[in-house]
Amino acid sequence: MYLSPTARISLLFLAIAVSALFFADIAITTANPWRDLGQFFLGVATPDFFSTEGLATALLRTVAFAFVGVALGAACGFLLSLVYRFYPVRMFCAFIRAIHELFWALIFLQFFGFHPLTGVLAIAIPYSGIFAKVYSEILEESDPGPGRLLPPGTGVVSAFLYARIPDCWVQMRTYTAYRLECGLRSSAILGFVGLPTLGFYLETSFSQGLYSEAGAMLIMFYVLIATIPLWVKPKLLPIYVLSAPFFLGEGMPIVWGNVERFFTEDIIPAPIRNGEGLADLGAWFNDLMLNEALPGIWNTVLLTQIALVATGILALLAFPLISNHFGGPVRRTSGHVFLVIARSTPEYILAYILLQLWGPSMLPAAVALALHNGGIIGHLIGRQTNTVLLRPDAPTGFNRYSWELVPRVYRSFLAFLFYRWEIIMRETAILGILGIYTLGLYVDSAIQQIRFDRAMVLILITALLNIGIDILGRYIRRKLALQTMPTC
Amino acid sequence: MAMSFIRKLMLSSLIVLIPFAASAQTFVFTAIPDEDESKLVERFRGIADYLQEELDVEVKYIPVKSYAAAISAFRNNQVQLAWFGGLSGVQARALVPGSEALAQGVEDEAFYNYFIAHKSTGLEMSDTLPEGVRGKTFTFGSKGSTSGRLIPEYHIRNIFNEAPEDVFSRVGFSGNHTRTLRLVEAGTYEVGAINYAVWEKELENGNINTDDVKVIWKTPAYPNYQWSIRGDIDERYGDGFMDKVREALLAMDDPELLESFPRSGFIPTSNENYEPIRSVAEQIGILD
Amino acid sequence: MSGFEFSGLTASFGGERVIGPLSLDVREGERIALVGKSGAGKSTLIKLIHERVDGHSSLVPQDLGLVNALPVFHNVFMGQLDAHAAWYNTLTLIRPFRKDKDAVRQLLTELAMADKFWTPTASLSGGQRQRVAIARAIYRQSNLLLADEPISALDGPMAHLVMKALSQRFTTSVIALHDVEMALAYSTRVVGIQDGQIALDEASDRLTAADITPLY
Repeated sequence: MYLSPTARISLLFLAIAVSALFFADIAITTANPWRDLGQFFLGVATPDFFSTEGLATALLRTVAFAFVGVALGAACGFLLSLVYRFYPVRMFCAFIRAIHELFWALIFLQFFGFHPLTGVLAIAIPYSGIFAKVYSEILEESDPGPGRLLPPGTGVVSAFLYARIPDCWVQMRTYTAYRLECGLRSSAILGFVGLPTLGFYLETSFSQGLYSEAGAMLIMFYVLIATIPLWVKPKLLPIYVLSAPFFLGEGMPIVWGNVERFFTEDIIPAPIRNGEGLADLGAWFNDLMLNEALPGIWNTVLLTQIALVATGILALLAFPLISNHFGGPVRRTSGHVFLVIARSTPEYILAYILLQLWGPSMLPAAVALALHNGGIIGHLIGRQTNTVLLRPDAPTGFNRYSWELVPRVYRSFLAFLFYRWEIIMRETAILGILGIYTLGLYVDSAIQQIRFDRAMVLILITALLNIGIDILGRYIRRKLALQTMPTC
Repeated sequence: MAMSFIRKLMLSSLIVLIPFAASAQTFVFTAIPDEDESKLVERFRGIADYLQEELDVEVKYIPVKSYAAAISAFRNNQVQLAWFGGLSGVQARALVPGSEALAQGVEDEAFYNYFIAHKSTGLEMSDTLPEGVRGKTFTFGSKGSTSGRLIPEYHIRNIFNEAPEDVFSRVGFSGNHTRTLRLVEAGTYEVGAINYAVWEKELENGNINTDDVKVIWKTPAYPNYQWSIRGDIDERYGDGFMDKVREALLAMDDPELLESFPRSGFIPTSNENYEPIRSVAEQIGILD
Repeated sequence: MSGFEFSGLTASFGGERVIGPLSLDVREGERIALVGKSGAGKSTLIKLIHERVDGHSSLVPQDLGLVNALPVFHNVFMGQLDAHAAWYNTLTLIRPFRKDKDAVRQLLTELAMADKFWTPTASLSGGQRQRVAIARAIYRQSNLLLADEPISALDGPMAHLVMKALSQRFTTSVIALHDVEMALAYSTRVVGIQDGQIALDEASDRLTAADITPLY
């Protein structure tokens, strides 16, 4: 039987995910998962906006960290994009974006402590790497015509400002604004490690079972994200960016000696620090690899593959919810609400909620990853189907779905999916902090034991794994000639 | 337009770094997050007010999200005083030369733990950890906790001669003692290890459904919580400051404040008293 | 640079030779009209000349090469980016200097475009865009003009206006034109291209429209 390359690759990944299910730890361990879930939804339905004094402050801080982090990331990313064609710069950017915001925050927490700089850099650094890549792609695709027409002797700067930037400006602005939304999500979850953003209060309320409080916070967060077009205006942007630094909160003063100590002592592998020689270093490294890195990698890969396929299935099921080719306006509106909620809730928060309700296993993590990523891809694909014009006598119902629409969008669906592969893996690793046995768990344990040398090696391994998946994902996309725009 | 925006962006990124000059000589302390945060905040704001009055400097409490964050803040001199558990205190003092264990609760001299179990296990109170826990699901408290992790793990290894992951079918970390209680009560985990003080307090407040969750074993005693202070404190706040802090802590007699810990009072202690904790941590491999 | 002499001009596309080898010499003061049917190689020849003179010419390519996001003023000003320092150009991007504005406005008035001074070129009509590219070429102030169908989207009177302006401003020019009448009216010499070779090279005053028509 002949199978197209896209069908073959889909079946291959499906088979991998199914076999991964046999090895994965999939279970609901709570006694009353549905009762807890019900209580949670009851809490969301009866939000309590006034119980926490911190709610308004938390939202303000969340927005402030997002603005400052994204602005700094955009500025640095822009500068990096100018030299992105150099191989070392490309490697550097790939490396800094392969490390999740939460890992960056955990690193900076060790020497900056609870200073606002910790949160700002945790967002700005990985975002610089992403901005550099996307900006350079945008710049590369700009029309080279005007540049060729410039009089010889025109300065590099003038040529760039006149012939390059104006052409890319709209695209860069759109992407930066989109990243701001991602920045709000990143900023919110930084609270889970102790920064004064939404996650801090969400975790507090949630862990104490105060679902109405937690519900209020989630609702405020959705409102914040859904109303971005209303309050983020180009004219207001400079004002926001300029004033945001003053709303980050005070935090603790930085002690610069700590920074030096971190880099010259803390992260040096213990055997070297104690002058124990190479043999001991080998043993140390062996122990780390065997007992932590390898199990971590195995579980991270398992969960990633399961979550990737679950994301795909969910996206395919979800896109008709907002497609003009199905259902009435009522169904589409509720479809939009569902997808907005699914994609605006950071995976980390979704996973945290589900873990609390269902108990620790890979299941809640996989569901959280699938909901968030499936929501994003479903939304994009659904919107794409709205540009498809069907012939007047096209079939309806399931036949329309399977014969007319899916074949038309399947390639871009795959493109988005493989683009998000690396993102899913990055998130999978970080979910370990919540107690699933992925790499993040071992990183968190090492940090809890004040063993930053081990934590750094594990973070490094996580970054390399991400870079590997990124390269593989790009290879598959190129092989299948799939094109996509960046998402986050 | 394009340029003006980029220019504004760069300018504002520079400004980011300016507003955080070090604040004045505020005396800052923290505590390990071993219980629900709202309870901690309530308790330690009271302590902050008390210390401020006694010490004549501005005193501030900052809540943290993990044991490691408390240790790091102490090590990084962002807090000068901390309410640590046995293990976190040992870890923190090892990282800050000259730091001292100032005072412990009366109960902390001989602290102990409860192993608790959900009713579905059918386990009852016994003299040692019953063989019946084998194959059940089990939760510690926080990874860096003495009563939530170190001591339970030590006893599990001692009694079964196996790692916890091999004794139990699933091992988790609930995060803190209150949550351990809630998770075992709800049956999410079948067995858990909890700090006896939290258990007794919750029991007294009527927050435990004793039909659903039972104590099945009480561990032998060990030294636990203590106030630890940095050694360079006198240089910064004036000679004799450390003694002033110790006296203030020992003199605390407001029943409401003490009740919130819950401790009946504070007594002097020293670093040597925590030697047993250090050696256990080393045996288990938590400390190098 | 104004006059030039090139030989062995060739260009291939997809392995197939589209032009040449041919030689062309142009003396200062000559206004050459390139004629021939579309696909004969006129545009390619203009590009080749532009490369050979190392860009030292005012070029109006067929696709105009405008920066769509920038207003008319900046697109015209781009003709003189080499004349100013980077800081000057950067500042002009944000807030132009009066003397530059006056100079560009005068030029645009001549081309009946002064009212579109601040309009982004993306929202202009084809004829207006063509005149912006022409204004940029004039503002460039080079002696040699290379233009590829610069009046294809302009109506009669406007086309004459533009052609007059171009003949006044440039001492030497090579302009590809498909309109035979215009070619004869505004050139001193006509070069006909057929299948990538020069099929006709004659002074304009010795030609009539009928002599050129066979090339089409």
